[in-house]
Amino acid sequence: MLRPSSPRLLLLLPTVTYRTVAFVEAARRLGADLTVASERPSTFERANPTGLVTLDFADPTHAAAQAREFARAHPVHGVVAVDDDTGVVAAAIAEALGLRGNPVAAAAAARDKYQQRQLLATAGLAVPRFELFTIAADPEKVASGVSYPCVLKPLRLSASRGVIRADTPAEFVAAFERIKRILDQTGCARSILVEEFVPGREVAVEGLVTQGALQVLALFDKPDPLDGPFFEETIYVTPSRLARTVQQEIAACAQATVHALGLRDGPIHAEVRHNDRGAWLIELAARPIGGRCSGALRFESRGAAGQMWEASLEEIIIRHALGMALPTLERERRASGVMMIPVPGAGVLRDVRGVGAAQAVPLVEEVVITMHSGQPLVPWPEGSRYPGFIFARGGTSEAVEAALRAAHARLEFLTEPAD
Amino acid sequence: MSADVRITAEPIDNGRCKFLVSEPLHAGGVRRFASPDEARGSPLAEAIFAIPGADVSEVIVSGNLVTVAKRSPAPWPVVGKAVGQAIRAALAGGQPAVTSKPAAPAGRGSAADDALYERVADLFDSQVNPMVARHGGRVELIDVQDAVVMVRMAGGCQGCGMADVTLRQGIEAMLHQHVPEVKGIVDITDHTAGSNPYFAAAKK
Repeated sequence: MLRPSSPRLLLLLPTVTYRTVAFVEAARRLGADLTVASERPSTFERANPTGLVTLDFADPTHAAAQAREFARAHPVHGVVAVDDDTGVVAAAIAEALGLRGNPVAAAAAARDKYQQRQLLATAGLAVPRFELFTIAADPEKVASGVSYPCVLKPLRLSASRGVIRADTPAEFVAAFERIKRILDQTGCARSILVEEFVPGREVAVEGLVTQGALQVLALFDKPDPLDGPFFEETIYVTPSRLARTVQQEIAACAQATVHALGLRDGPIHAEVRHNDRGAWLIELAARPIGGRCSGALRFESRGAAGQMWEASLEEIIIRHALGMALPTLERERRASGVMMIPVPGAGVLRDVRGVGAAQAVPLVEEVVITMHSGQPLVPWPEGSRYPGFIFARGGTSEAVEAALRAAHARLEFLTEPAD
Repeated sequence: MSADVRITAEPIDNGRCKFLVSEPLHAGGVRRFASPDEARGSPLAEAIFAIPGADVSEVIVSGNLVTVAKRSPAPWPVVGKAVGQAIRAALAGGQPAVTSKPAAPAGRGSAADDALYERVADLFDSQVNPMVARHGGRVELIDVQDAVVMVRMAGGCQGCGMADVTLRQGIEAMLHQHVPEVKGIVDITDHTAGSNPYFAAAKK
């Protein structure tokens, strides 16, 4: 049983997240008194009212009021969010309860691609030309006024869902209509951000912000080109193979973005491109890396007595939120990578073969198939869900990348046409 | 046979990992081994406890699922390869991977576990299962060994994105309250096989 004096963590877990086990088990390891909040009630909520609560994730102000009421009886010492939407809710709760976190306006700006672009431009950062259109606009008219190539983006969808590149007016019109249909399905903000396509190598920055200062935890190369027309991600490998000076430019770009948005405390995940004109912020989210990808990160240090201290990304985030000591923010020495397994095509998944063979590839640590038989496979841009993940670790980033590709080549997805 | 054995590792955290095997290892219920002494006579458990540097503290074998707990900080990918080798070797060997549970000496272990089993089963029948049934779920009490409860989730709970919340914040919390003698709870569910989870993870 936990000591009564254990700090209470309020963990905001949407019911659709992949992150449940990683965060719940990390909180347990740290001895936190855990309260899990979701947008839909657990069937055990009445049986364990201090451990389970329902919050209105759709209305951060209301959720903060609910959290304040809860905290009157059960003081909360830290709040952690796992995705974009709960990031805003966590900020509202942190403000209401005086906890470590981001200002609500900053978290909201990080969630909204247009607000983010506006703030970066105002702060004088390099941003591609951008403009916002409602879906009621005439796409043919809009298409005649934009420069090409450009990228059309919904404002709030994650995982590059609905993001489409257009090189011609005809492609623009087709993309615009396609995104309208996606927005109709999702009920998201009915606007489309159109911005100049930024060529270059893309990397992902995983970081932790403390009182506005960004500590880069990992810089991931994305060795597969992300030139469109859709932007489904595949491989992340760290450490980056970019030149040290380029990495420093990228880190400075991410730090400047954190400052421009007004983010103060918590994890960030940023996509940055680099070309001969420098580093360009594509997007920064006030949350950690998504899906199962955090499994590619491990932090370790050796104490004075020789004992090994090891932590997951989730442990670091929880420690930070609760104000606990952070023994290290140094990533392990080995190279590490993850492949978000590409959707093999539209259909209904029936079976995945070759998992054992993929796992047998040297350096491959784990092959996780997260989709179940009978579930629909939806390619990008309509889709946003990968069928699984492959993890590898090794001496070099090159070796890790090669292992991920070799393992993927051994997988065979058996599908049936969707009805 | 063992050349085609497929093993999928599902780390729960750095201390505990499930290994799902494509072939059954033990058909006689659940076997839990909490020490190398207890593992004696069961080749699979013996081999796992003997993995150098892992400091294995517990091995649970049920059907085609092996759950391993360790104390060392060695990462699962390293330990997991050795566990995989042990599993393949056990399947290739001529004798059962694990033996059936021996009768406990009078007054030790088994009788206390039997009494706990009854109380936990009552709790599951009267409270836990009616609650998870609202989401189409079911939680099966598999065994109680050394005051550790082993459960398997089914229906809407199997593969549910919130299954660990149900386990830790729901079932475990109720056990602490109603059967405080219980020392722990282990989920031996193959969540990857869940075909109708109540909450399916949908974000990347």
